[in-house]
Amino acid sequence: MNRSHFLAGAAAIIAAAAFPTLAAAQVQIGAIEILSGPAAAYGIAIKAGLDLALDEINQKGVLGGQKIVLTVEDSAGNKDQAINAARKLIGRDKVVLVIGPTLSNEMFAVGPVTNERKIPTVGTSTTAAGITEIGPYIWRTSLPEADVVPVTFKKAQSRGVKTIALMYANDDAFSKSGFDVMKAAAEKLGLKILTIETFGSKDTDFSAQITKIKGLKPDAIGISALVEPVSGVVLQARSLGIPKETLLLGGNGSNSPKLGEIAGAAADGMLVGSPWFIAKPDAMNTGFVTAFTAKYNKAPDQFAAQAYDTMKIVAQTIDRAGAADSEKINAVLGKIDFNGVMGPFKFTAGRDPASSDGVVVLEMRGGKFGIAQ
Amino acid sequence: MPIWLDDFLWTYQNVVYALGVNGLLGLSMYVVLSVGQLSLGQAAFMGLGAYSSALLTLKLHLPFAIVLPASTIAPVLFALAIGTPTLRLSGVYLAIATIGLGEVLRAAYLNIDYVGGALGISGIPERAGVVSIYSLLILALLGFWLIGRSAIGRAMEAIREDEVAAATMGVNVARYRLGALLTSAVLAGLAGALSAHVSSFIGPNEYGFEPAVTILSYALLGGIGSPFAPVIGAWILTLLPEMLRGFADLRLVFNGVIIVLAVLYLPNGILPWTMRRRAA
Repeated sequence: MNRSHFLAGAAAIIAAAAFPTLAAAQVQIGAIEILSGPAAAYGIAIKAGLDLALDEINQKGVLGGQKIVLTVEDSAGNKDQAINAARKLIGRDKVVLVIGPTLSNEMFAVGPVTNERKIPTVGTSTTAAGITEIGPYIWRTSLPEADVVPVTFKKAQSRGVKTIALMYANDDAFSKSGFDVMKAAAEKLGLKILTIETFGSKDTDFSAQITKIKGLKPDAIGISALVEPVSGVVLQARSLGIPKETLLLGGNGSNSPKLGEIAGAAADGMLVGSPWFIAKPDAMNTGFVTAFTAKYNKAPDQFAAQAYDTMKIVAQTIDRAGAADSEKINAVLGKIDFNGVMGPFKFTAGRDPASSDGVVVLEMRGGKFGIAQ
Repeated sequence: MPIWLDDFLWTYQNVVYALGVNGLLGLSMYVVLSVGQLSLGQAAFMGLGAYSSALLTLKLHLPFAIVLPASTIAPVLFALAIGTPTLRLSGVYLAIATIGLGEVLRAAYLNIDYVGGALGISGIPERAGVVSIYSLLILALLGFWLIGRSAIGRAMEAIREDEVAAATMGVNVARYRLGALLTSAVLAGLAGALSAHVSSFIGPNEYGFEPAVTILSYALLGGIGSPFAPVIGAWILTLLPEMLRGFADLRLVFNGVIIVLAVLYLPNGILPWTMRRRAA
């Protein structure tokens, strides 16, 4: 290659990089998810849900036949990479809307950036408190724990629970904010909190905390942590002689089939609130589960379901906004009225999900979740 | 400014910030390595700088011109407290002691509700920028360059090559080592304050063991022949994951392969050359 060819080639590459193809009949949207590293399972499930919804949407297109082009960027669970991804999506790919990022901590870093650029940003898995207070362009479709946990606790109260002990992992944001919600829910329902015990997410021995709780004889134990430590707590609680009559209550972190796989029969009778349940019998949900299983050869989880609904909500919003324009999309998001696999969906004035009617309380039976009676 | 250039700069603004901040961290590693000490406390110092500066900004509403220098106070105090006893330790023992410091501080951030616990501190205003970050980086580079060429640099190199011989020649080894650790704490504290004030959020897990090793790898990849080497190492390790975005799922694999190859074939770092020094 001679010099002038090289220069021409280089110029073409720079031009291509600096001016993204002016999409004549395409709507550019972006997503930031964890696709590599230890927390990749969440991001990969979300991407699968988004892609499945996108396939269905693009058969017809939006705005009279335009295709939605989704660019998914990896954040590796790292705050800086999440910000870089957001800036790349907005500055280079010219997306009109961002879905994600995966973790609440990432949203606290990314939200101010997208909000400054007035790009509507929709979290599908960010459940911590304070997310949507970042700014008027930050939304979420994931029910905050504050909406799920009280439903579980109410169910427990209806079974005669009057006193409760709380346990949580105090070294990650998700578990801590889940605990704050449990404490508030217990106080609101008038349950007496006998003790509050903490542990670390990577701990394997909980006998000190459990022995103390056993002596207090609570009617129930609420546990806020990710599924691995929760399973450990449940196993040790039963082996240290916490009786079957003591109800175990889990937060969103316990809402994983892994609980049954690790804790087995020890987890029987545990109650966990969930915004979605794979065996929900309505046609929309069974259709989603069938399509997902056919495409990916595995069953969807809650994160995929939330992402699937979010993609559909976004497509409907773009259609109603009448243009791929961030300002118009942001204005219409608040008026959206959607019915998806998670149930009926609307946003509150505070850009959070309006209704927790879709929440079901699940009960562990023989290592599997079923709907609690 | 044309719109595309404006967009381009906006897109890579955070990368530009990260290059400067990580360059400072590379230097903070360089200064301890250049007296032959392996300390892994840089991430802990950075965390102290970040947390103290964020609190000064959010709770006391002090201007950034005061917050930035004040962010070095906590790291320096901790460096003094651990430096005096631990500098008698050498090699891997100092590394273990400083890892301990990082973990103790992480546990402290998690358990003190005033600093947000596991939720960290969010909503930190954007006060730092290209000017503050890069002027500090250039000042630090210039300082190290001048020191490296002076008698102090010679003494530091003597300690690194042979501690006993250096002491015999009249070099006060303990003083140099403490000085290096304090300088390292100052640089890491500044880097922490700057990064907290460009990314609006900090959390306890950003200053644990993993970032400590990342900072060490800046100096290992770049080399410690001259102060420019660890900065180049930091820049490469910061840019690589962004430049490899096109590989999507295989990004981390390529990232790892490139680093392994560099370490295998350039054992003295990417910039192995040492500084020339005038004859005494």
